Amino acid sequence: MPHRNSIKTLLIVDDSRVSRMMIRTFVLAKHPNWIIIEAASGNEALEIVDRDTPNYCTMDINMPGIIGTEAAEQILAKYPSIRVAVFSANIQESHQTRAAALGARFVAKPVTEKSVAQALEFFECNK
Amino acid sequence: MNPLTELQVDTLTEIFNIGAGRAASSLSEIVGDPVMLSVPRVQLYQSSEINAEVLSLNSPRLGAVKQHFSGPFNADAMLLFTEDRALEIVHDMMGSQVSINDIAEFEQEAMCELGNIILNACLSSMADILKLTLDSSLPVYSVGETNAVLQQIILDANQPIMLVLHIDLAIEKRHSQGYLVFLLSSSSLQELLAHIDHFISGI
Amino acid sequence: MNSIPVKNSFAFSGKIEGEIAGKIWDSIKSGLILIDSAGNVLLWNNWMAQHSAIPTELALNHSFESLFPDSLSVSFKTAIRHALQHKLPVILSNALHRSPLPLYLLPITPDKQRIQQSITLTPIPTGEGNPLCLIQIVDATLSIKRERVLKSHTERLSKEAVTDALTGAYNRRFFDERFAAEFGRAQRQNIPLSLIMLDVDYFKLYNDTYGHPAGDKVLTSIVKALKSQLHRPTDVVARYGGEEFVVILPDSKTEGSQIIAERLRSAVSNLNIPHSESKVADHITVSIGIATYQPDTDCNATHFLEMADTALYSAKHGGRNCVRHLTTTEGGKPCMDVSFSPSPLLV
Repeated sequence: MPHRNSIKTLLIVDDSRVSRMMIRTFVLAKHPNWIIIEAASGNEALEIVDRDTPNYCTMDINMPGIIGTEAAEQILAKYPSIRVAVFSANIQESHQTRAAALGARFVAKPVTEKSVAQALEFFECNK
Repeated sequence: MNPLTELQVDTLTEIFNIGAGRAASSLSEIVGDPVMLSVPRVQLYQSSEINAEVLSLNSPRLGAVKQHFSGPFNADAMLLFTEDRALEIVHDMMGSQVSINDIAEFEQEAMCELGNIILNACLSSMADILKLTLDSSLPVYSVGETNAVLQQIILDANQPIMLVLHIDLAIEKRHSQGYLVFLLSSSSLQELLAHIDHFISGI
Repeated sequence: MNSIPVKNSFAFSGKIEGEIAGKIWDSIKSGLILIDSAGNVLLWNNWMAQHSAIPTELALNHSFESLFPDSLSVSFKTAIRHALQHKLPVILSNALHRSPLPLYLLPITPDKQRIQQSITLTPIPTGEGNPLCLIQIVDATLSIKRERVLKSHTERLSKEAVTDALTGAYNRRFFDERFAAEFGRAQRQNIPLSLIMLDVDYFKLYNDTYGHPAGDKVLTSIVKALKSQLHRPTDVVARYGGEEFVVILPDSKTEGSQIIAERLRSAVSNLNIPHSESKVADHITVSIGIATYQPDTDCNATHFLEMADTALYSAKHGGRNCVRHLTTTEGGKPCMDVSFSPSPLLV
């Protein structure tokens, strides 16, 4: 059973500052001592994971530069233990299937307490 | 007219991108192929500044789907595509079963539905995120000479503010650029921004 | 016969009204279905009963989706959700959906053919919280053929209605409407508006000398020259009278309109169309009058037009091939812009 109070690092990847703020707020409400790092694009995320490898990651799909699912694939190839939740407005079958194939959880936007809870549930569950 | 703050633009872009995501999903259901719809840019203009160059609509004819929304604020929303784009989109949506010559017959209703899907998706996204309720009229599609259509938009009474969303629609890898335009009075804009600010402050 | 269940009191108040309403729904020549927020059928008119082969009594108070053995398409279900949850109207066009519901041509034969359908869902507020959803189904078969015929007609008519056949400029009728709208907008939004009136110098003499067909060509060339100088889609060139043209420049102030008017005058002059009988040059020229409406000044559309005319008159009598300008002022009396009155160019 995961320690509720253990410190984890979460990387939030989204080009929308508002979305990043919202995910941060909802996550910190449940886990006030987690460390949150942010990236505004897939490319930025790829740089960050090498420096500061997180435990968990939320990833938007439509961003400038490489597409989120592509970034997720590259990150998971290097660091397969990171749990990725694809957080996106793009809810088409093709994206959901892609996410699942990568071993990532797909969560539909908008960012709400509920949708963030779904991501957290995926992060904390036993595989 | 005050420009929007960075957070306001961000929020609007996010709201419309979520709407676009929902619309793309509905469209791909119809088309049977992946559809990508995104809102890369949101800009605010005075209606009088608008012309074909500002919107880069370089085509003699323009198609416009219009719905009127009312609630805590009122707005006329329009989906704009050049007519040749519109016909291409209709052709992509209907699949290859219909010949190019027959496509024009279906332009009116297919564009009405496309506009309805996109406008409804954006509006429901706005309603969900900003927690407000909006009523809407049924969509109406009109095609006309580009400048005449733009003129008509500008001349509509008392809506000097125009919120313009650049949209990118990709069906079967063919990209079409269009616009989603919201015409508002200044008080409606204030009302909308008040809701947005309220939302931002609650984050 | 379609009877409205009495327990849905918000639908109709009295029994008599209910009966008449029922007769109305049954007379309507398209499908009408009313469902509540739980998806149960409250209304199923005669047209529906006939074309679905599902009698009204069997449909009423049952779940709409349960009535169809093959389930409804995802698009249809999404449409219902949009109408009930978000209270937004939805269109399921024939073009994109063809025949989503199992409705058939009458009489229904063993090889039953689905009719082409055009469907609209409209939320119906009840004042009590959850709205109802009205589903209207129209047989689209006929309209497809008619639209084809109508479309070719309409395109021809709309161009004819607003264009001057000879020159390609807008016609007087279009100008009258557009001017009224623009002037009204300028007053409401407190923005300036300029009107330029042009008259071809010694045009009658030109016609007498070179013939009417040549005169027609001149008018057409002039319009081309004018259009070449106007770049905003909101700027309108119209043929006002025989040899008179008018240009509307919305949102245009004094200096801007003067520059444009001078450009227009030069453009016509530079056409260099020989005119041996002109008393002011050896080629075709125009006289130009400008009227500018300043925001917050006292003026109405008719007076404003007269001002442009007066400015034009002043140009004619100031030597022709020149520009004169009048601006509205707070006092109501138009003021002549004396700083800008370029003298006519003498060749």
